[in-house]
Amino acid sequence: MGQGSCSQEDSFDLLNQFEHVLDSDPLIDEVGFIHPSQFTMLDKESGSSDYNKTSTNFWNQDHKLGISTDILTQLCRVAKHAFLAAFNEYKRHENISSGVSFVSKVMKHSQAVLLLSSDFGTAWNARKLILSRQNQPTLEAFTEELRLSRLILSNCPKSEPTWSHRRWIIKMISRSFSTPQDIVTKESELVESIGERSKMNYRAWYHRCWLVSYMTIEQVLQELNKSKRWAGLHVADSSCFHYRRRLMLRVLEPLKVKGSNANDDETEAHKIWMEELDWNKELVKRYLGREALWLHRRFLSLNWIMYFCRNQSSETGESIVMNEETVIFIDNEIHLLESSMTVPDNKFEDFQAQALHASAYMLWLTKHIPKLWRMLEEKLGTEKLKCVLNTVDQERPSLLLQLKHNNDY
Amino acid sequence: MSSSSSSSSQMGELVADKHVRYILMSEKKKESFESVVMDHLRMNGAYWGLTTLDLLDKLPSVSVDEVVSWLLTCQHESGGFAGNTGHDPHVLYTLSAVQILALFDKLDILDVAKVSSYIAGLQNEDGSFSGDMWGEVDTRFSYIAICSLSILKCLDKINVEKAVDYIVSCKNLDGGFGCTPGAESHAGQIFCCVGALAITGSLHHVDKDLLGWWLCERQVKSGGLNGRPEKLPDVCYSWWVLSSLIMIDRVHWINKAKLVKFILDCQDLENGGISDRPDDAVDIFHTYFGVAGLSLLEYPGVKAIDPAYALPVDVINRILLTK
Ligand SMILES: [Zn+2]
Repeated sequence: MGQGSCSQEDSFDLLNQFEHVLDSDPLIDEVGFIHPSQFTMLDKESGSSDYNKTSTNFWNQDHKLGISTDILTQLCRVAKHAFLAAFNEYKRHENISSGVSFVSKVMKHSQAVLLLSSDFGTAWNARKLILSRQNQPTLEAFTEELRLSRLILSNCPKSEPTWSHRRWIIKMISRSFSTPQDIVTKESELVESIGERSKMNYRAWYHRCWLVSYMTIEQVLQELNKSKRWAGLHVADSSCFHYRRRLMLRVLEPLKVKGSNANDDETEAHKIWMEELDWNKELVKRYLGREALWLHRRFLSLNWIMYFCRNQSSETGESIVMNEETVIFIDNEIHLLESSMTVPDNKFEDFQAQALHASAYMLWLTKHIPKLWRMLEEKLGTEKLKCVLNTVDQERPSLLLQLKHNNDY
Repeated sequence: MSSSSSSSSQMGELVADKHVRYILMSEKKKESFESVVMDHLRMNGAYWGLTTLDLLDKLPSVSVDEVVSWLLTCQHESGGFAGNTGHDPHVLYTLSAVQILALFDKLDILDVAKVSSYIAGLQNEDGSFSGDMWGEVDTRFSYIAICSLSILKCLDKINVEKAVDYIVSCKNLDGGFGCTPGAESHAGQIFCCVGALAITGSLHHVDKDLLGWWLCERQVKSGGLNGRPEKLPDVCYSWWVLSSLIMIDRVHWINKAKLVKFILDCQDLENGGISDRPDDAVDIFHTYFGVAGLSLLEYPGVKAIDPAYALPVDVINRILLTK
């Protein structure tokens, strides 16, 4: 990036060149910053001759756009400059009819600047401002925003202002054109494909969680089915499991308000919960030592005890009764704990992590249901229980102190 | 983390002078792509840098007038502040502006009525806060509103009860908090929610043992803290997790000595600055969070920082104890 002393004219040429590339290929669906040495490699890979190679600054083929890292600083600076100047002009002329001519400038330069600096909020705001001032904004105008933000996310999957802009656009679309239910599926797929390349992306999964409140219960069930495969392949992605938790809480909702068809709802929810618990147990046994899986189990088990073991009335753990259903459930969990405690010599680390997560899981449940303590003592016996406590004590001694506080052990 | 390389093996000390020089220099370096990309949040950058300098007792080496006159060019008619001159206002930058003026004891130059009206105007019917006129809601913005208005002594301009109710509605079964109701727990969001509850005297809404459990499980083998399950440790979470643990009185639940070592391992011993993880590139954001984390850990030579307001304790005392 050692070419700080380029003339202003050169800079504007560069910006023009960039905007021309964007203009001439409106179907670009992926963008990235690449070192110029990669240009030739990319050419070879795509097996094409040089006929549509733009320059040494931009690489554009098959609707993929590469921007040379050599020019990023210069290009970003001039784009910001051009955008802020155009936006100022626009604001100064907003009440005059000639303001219209600045609209296209603002749109053009904000697009350029956002592709280079996706968190530049003022540029996103300018686009929102222009759209919201149009008398009769067309669906195409909003769809264009979805395209642009998607393109930017291909390079900056964690950019919060970009995700936020998307939500604003979706709200606008659902206000005048369609219900948000129509958009849910596409958005969900987008998050999944971005989650593939950008692991444990909080912002992406938050976006998918945000969609849940707009879903019909049928869509919630569909999403539970559809996200299952992905989750099974990405067992360390806690955000994906949180998404499932969000969906599953929607399934529980009708149970909280006693209605006429409460029974049907309960059977359905019961089935879903049972399946998730079984599936989670399978994963826990197959992928040793995965924190995300054990945390998911905490959520599943506590809710199971609260809602399906005739404990519905209790919102907090305090009043959970150790009835027959609860005892049967806990008994199975103790078996799972026991089978997770063996640490053979080989693959030591994974087994150790497994033992820790399993022990912490059981103690976490005990924290919520103090009466569970007695059952652990009975079923495990003093020796095994000591082993569970030691496992936790070695890594997280504070958790035991806490339990000592609450229990008479 | 496996590479506790030879260069950092003789660590064990905070190279405070080098960090001071790094911060003072970084303001002058404007040629890199990073600095061009970051200039829309220059206000945040100024807060991170200046607070670090103050924690290291080197604030006097900055020209107050220069900073304050630039800061004022970022204020809008609405009362809100932008991240830089000519940009749009947002509460994210408004809090930083208020905090910077607090550091310099210059809050009196603010038109308090105007700034507080801007912030109060962003409260929604359900008690939540939008970040700006475009309406994105997030518990971070609740914290920012409550923290700024408390510093400006105008909390009465918002409906505090509703604001608290909204934050409480973002609590999850694991004891943590997310950005909106039902959103995943995240250490950064937890800091914001616990901080807002602390400032408004509403910490009784927090299940301290349960949240403490989640927070102390953030400490990984290297001693560092992560912000969510299965993530790598990162210096910035030293601040978010630690300050939350302090506010709920559970800081003794983590291994402090190991965390101190992790932060010190992330220093660039030659050129100053702190990175997210050992041997990564340093930046001003992690330099601030590293030093602030050490402050919470009572590291010698670093001034005490307030865990809720994210300002040095003497600054907060000066504001809250005077009329
Ligand atoms: Zn970080």
